[in-house]
Parts: sequence; C-alpha cells; structure tokens
Amino acid sequence: MSAVIDENLGSLADVTDGAISIKDVVKIYDPDGAAVMAVDHCSIEIPAGEICMIVGPSGCGKTTLLNAIAGFHGITSGSIHLDGELLCGPEKPQAEPGSDRIVVFQNGALFPWKTNLDNVAFGPMMAGKLSKEEIYDKARSMMADAGLSGNENNYPGEISSGLRRRVEIVRALMNDPKVLLFDEPYRALDSLTKSVMHEALLEIYYRNKVTIFFITHDLEEAIFLGHRLIIMSSRPCKPKKIVEVDIPHPRDYSVLTSPRFRELMNEAKDVVHEEATKAFEAGEKEG
Amino acid sequence: MPDPANNSEILSALKSAMPFQMVPGNLMQEIAAICTQESYEAGEKIYDLGAVADDVFIVAYGSVRHTLSADTDASKHEKTMRSGDVFGWAAVLEGQSVRMAATASIERTLVLRINGKKLIKLFESDPAVGDVVMTRFATLINKEFYVPRSIADQVPGFKQALNASNLQGSEVTTMALTVYRISTWLKSPRPYLMLIGFALFLSFWMLSVEIWKLPRFVDMPGPTEVFTEWFSEDPYYGLSIYTPEYYKHIGISLQRIAFAFFLATGLGVPLGLFLGWSKKFREYIFPLFEVFRPIPVLAWVPLAIIMFSGSETPVIFLTFLASFFATTLNTMLGVESIDESYSRAARCLGASRWQTFVHVVIPGAMPYIFTGLQISIGVAWFSLVAGEMVSGQYGLGYVINTAYMMIEYPKIIIGMITLGVVGYITSAMVRMMGDYLMQWRVRELALGDN
Repeated sequence: MSAVIDENLGSLADVTDGAISIKDVVKIYDPDGAAVMAVDHCSIEIPAGEICMIVGPSGCGKTTLLNAIAGFHGITSGSIHLDGELLCGPEKPQAEPGSDRIVVFQNGALFPWKTNLDNVAFGPMMAGKLSKEEIYDKARSMMADAGLSGNENNYPGEISSGLRRRVEIVRALMNDPKVLLFDEPYRALDSLTKSVMHEALLEIYYRNKVTIFFITHDLEEAIFLGHRLIIMSSRPCKPKKIVEVDIPHPRDYSVLTSPRFRELMNEAKDVVHEEATKAFEAGEKEG
Repeated sequence: MPDPANNSEILSALKSAMPFQMVPGNLMQEIAAICTQESYEAGEKIYDLGAVADDVFIVAYGSVRHTLSADTDASKHEKTMRSGDVFGWAAVLEGQSVRMAATASIERTLVLRINGKKLIKLFESDPAVGDVVMTRFATLINKEFYVPRSIADQVPGFKQALNASNLQGSEVTTMALTVYRISTWLKSPRPYLMLIGFALFLSFWMLSVEIWKLPRFVDMPGPTEVFTEWFSEDPYYGLSIYTPEYYKHIGISLQRIAFAFFLATGLGVPLGLFLGWSKKFREYIFPLFEVFRPIPVLAWVPLAIIMFSGSETPVIFLTFLASFFATTLNTMLGVESIDESYSRAARCLGASRWQTFVHVVIPGAMPYIFTGLQISIGVAWFSLVAGEMVSGQYGLGYVINTAYMMIEYPKIIIGMITLGVVGYITSAMVRMMGDYLMQWRVRELALGDN
C-alpha cells in the first residue's frame, strides 16, 4: 500500500491548524497537603500537523500533561495555547474539553452499549449540526476507508482489540479535530497487532493530517511513528532530550531494520534508560 | 503444534471465523493442529479460477480480493475479505474439485490454510459439531457471498436429520444451534446433578417424615400427602391445582408484587441515577437514605397498618419499601461504577452534561440496575409474604398463615412450593428483560464463553 502514497504525504507544509504551545506548565497535586509535583516548568512547542511522541517511564507525569491539554484537570501555573488561543493559563486554570482535541484512551473508551457505527456517529450526533442521514453516511464511508466495513452493526465487545482502537480513532476523526491526544493506546496489544496498528495509524494520518500528541514508553513505537521524540525526565516531568526523527515519511515497517533507525534507537535509549532507572529507584508507581 | 505462541494465534484466528465460532475447545485444538500459516505480499495471487480446491482459508491479518466466476450466478462477484473472513470454501463442497473464484491479497496478508478433506474427516468424529459448522458454511456461502442456495447445499452433512438441503438459510443455523446446545447440555453432568439434588431432597423429606417419623417432624405433612392434596380434583382442605381459589391467591399476590415492583422501579431508578450523578444531591439525600435502609421491613408493619387504612395498601407499601431501597442503592452504585474514561470521552466528543447523562450514565449503569431489580423482585416476595401474613385477605402469605391457624398443614407446604415456583418465574422474567435491553452485554458474554 505504501507504493501508492506520494512523497509529500509526510510533509507538514499544508497543515495550518493544530499548533500546541505549552509554556512553563507546572502541576502540583494536592498543593496544601502532600504537594506532589507532577509537571515541573515544562515547555513544548508542537507545530501544526506534527506527530509528537512524548516518551518517558511509567508514572512520570506524561498523562498529567495530556489531561491538562484535554481539559480533564487544571494546571497550577503556566499556560497552554492551541493555535494562539488560550486553553488554560493564569486566569483560567482548567481548559474546557472540546471536540477540537480528542483523546484516544489507554484502555479504549468506545461505549460498549453502542454499536461501532453509533459510536463513530456519536460526536456529530451530539453536535446536532448535520442531519442523521448525512452523519451516518459519513460514518459509514469513514469506517470503510479505515478498513472497518462489515463491523458497523457489531458491538465493540465483539471485535478484536486492534479493530476497536481503529474504530476509536475514526470516531475521533469524525469531528474534524485539530489535535489527537493518544494516551498509550497500544500498550495492551500484542506486538503483532501493534505493528499492524502502527501502519494503520500512519495510513489514517496521511489521509487526515492532524497534530498528534502521542504518549508512549515504547521507544520503537515512538521512533517509527514520530516526527520528533520528546524524552521526559521522571517525576517531576519536564523535557530532557529532543530527538528529531529524520527518516522520511511515508514509512512502512521496513524502516525498523534500517541503519538510521538503529542509530536513533541508540541515541534515545541511553537517556530513556537513565530516567527509567531513576524512576525505578524512586519507587514511582503507575500514574 | 510445537510452538505455543503460534498455536494461540491460530486459535484466536479460528475463533474469529464465523463457521468455527461454536466449535468446543478440544476439537478446536485438533483443527488448529492441521492449520498452516502463510503470508502474502500486497497484490500477490493466492489461487486462480479452476485451480485444484484443496484448502479453506481464513484471513488472520490484512485483506484479500475475492472475485467469483461468472458461472456461479452470484448476485455480486467482487468481495473484500478481511480479518476473520473465510474463503476457499469450494474445498469443503461435495462434488466440487476446482476453485470457483480467483483471489489475490490487497495488502500484506497472513492467512490460515486448512485442508478441506482433513477438516471433513475431523468432523466425522463429532458429527453434531460438524453439522453446525457446515450449516454455518452454507449460510456463509449463501448470504455473504450471494451464491445461490444450490451451490451452498453442496456442503456435506454428517447426520441425516440435519442435512442442510432439507431446511432453509438462517433457520438452519438457529435450529441446528438449539439442537446443538440441548445436546451438549444433556451430555454435560449439569441436568443429572440437578435431578439428583431434587431426588435427594425429596427422599430426605419422605424418609424423615413418612418412614422414620423423626420426633421433630411428627406434625409435618409428608410429600405423599402434600402432592396428593395438591393434584387432587377434590382436595380435602379445599386447595389444589383444580380449585379456582388457588389461582385467585396466586393472582392477587402477583398483582400486589407487580404494583409494588413497578412503583419501586419507577421511583428507585431515577432517584438512584440522580444520587450517583449529582454529588450535591447525594449529600442531601444519601445520609437519610442510609439511616432508613437498614430498618427491616417487619419493623414497618405496625406503622404501615396505622398509616394506611384498609388491608390492601399496607401490604403494598411494605412490599414497595424493600424493593425501593434495593433498586435505588444498586442504581446509584451502577452510576459510580462507570469508568471515568467514558464520560471523559463523551465530553471530548462534544456531549453536554445532559447528553452524557442520557448516552453514558443511563446505559452504563444498566447492568447494575438489573442486578438491583433482581434483588428487588426477591425482597418484594419476601416482604409481600410478611405483609400478607399480618394483614390482607387472599394471597399466598395469607394461605400459609391461615393454614397454620386452621391446622391444615399440607396447605402450608403447597403455599410454600407455589411461592418458590412463582418467585422463580418472576425473577427469570426480570433477567430476560435485562438480556433483551442489554444485547451488547449478552453478545460480549457469549463470545467470552467460547
């Protein structure tokens, strides 16, 4: 399938929306009590359309950052902007959740009581701007594009976990979001399914360019998917090293064996390992 | 299969294929043992029209273009096969030795190959399962590939009675499945253990009362006396399945249960939903609720009689009360049990608070609500009988109590057994209602079973 994809698919030049700017964000849990610092003066600039991989050991506070962007909880200080508009900052500690930033959750959050098609149609149905026929036509065709035809009337519990993740991404894309926020979505998948999911995700990305903020602790996944890796220090969380992945898009699984991939792996591995050891010694729990 | 990881992959691919979903574990292992895996690059040919039809294929990963020959009279010729789809079924058709379609992979694809002849041989050892799988093949060929029934009917049958050609499409699958389920149930130890349990209880009753005449059981009616009375056309104590009186008691008890149960559900479910949903509301109501809840229904009896006039309303009030607490509490727990990611996802997708309540909170709490309703119908019977014993005319509790006072002991037992049977039927109805409303859950659990 990679043969038909033309060369500029990986370029960000044509993407205008979805630039995230994180400035000096601090998050302290329970400031009056135990005062746990989860994020420490963290600044990251993500250009529109970039696949930005946030890499760090489990429990380092990556998810805290994601939740702040999504608007699930507030920040203690600093600011986050999306395309120059303030999401949260000094006057407004918590962002309002909205369909311009959609989260793909760690354990998947397809509604098990709705069919896959109803799940995909959920966002636009709630917005109520289009007619039901228009929404369902769009949902069907988007599912077909993602190779999900035939699963429309099944419930999420009836299909494989790999397909469920694909449905969830399609459900997010139905709302034309500017940013997709991935919270280690492939963590629970076996390595074979994972590799299929990675190629599928890139394929979807080449068709619908959105900014991707992707949390992972899997280095191979990070380098394979990302334009850029931001390796975070263990708690409190702040960027420690940035690795530019200069392997050109579109990519397929052959890049995994390329020498450049190995070099980047080695470059990142030492830093990640050091942080993981620190986190391990500090006895951090999952968070 | 020497490699266990490989084996589990093959098994999961087999289970995802429609015709094989009902195959039990050990036979599935045997099928897995004759499977081979094969991968194809994008655009690679898998087999051509007219080639020898030896293997059946299941797509594990990737996708395959399937093009049927024009002579098949199929109403649609092109089809894309994806993970879990089955093709190459010519290999299991009787009197069909060559391919009726051409296939090629669309992307990098992994397939399972199963030799058709070996597969059929395996099923000869278990014809009941073989028939289910083959009828499913016939349905697949007919419904999914739009191939005429005459070709689909060439799937082999293993037992004369179930031969696919005698019956039609989906009926076959449902009927074959029902027969299959009943036959496995009969083959399992469950029905016999159940019968032994009943027999043990009846013989203990009979021995202790009628044969050994144990001191404690002197005044107890024995099973012979009870059953003769119960099924007698001219009962000595005036109550048997032939007297209209008997059905009047059942009817009136059922009426009270229905009234109290629906009232408790109608008030308890919304209250429980709001208690779980709104923190503020819970802070007002819940402490009060927690004080009232542990008070046993029997303690309410005097107050119920003082508060409500007549003999009917106190009974209904008592029945309602117990149900109401069980329903409300479980509904509230149901709302609290919903994974936070669901409401977060709903808000991300632009749902308002009210929309989240309707589309996430209510369906998400549904499994707990129905657990609550199961408990609720149980305690409803409990408090109904208590109420009927104290106040009220007619009803099964009334039968038991008056029989005791009039020293008509067999009637007590008849009343008790009837309560057991009617109570079981009502709770089964609640469960069926739950299954009907929560198809997603039924289907999920059904898959987990295999």
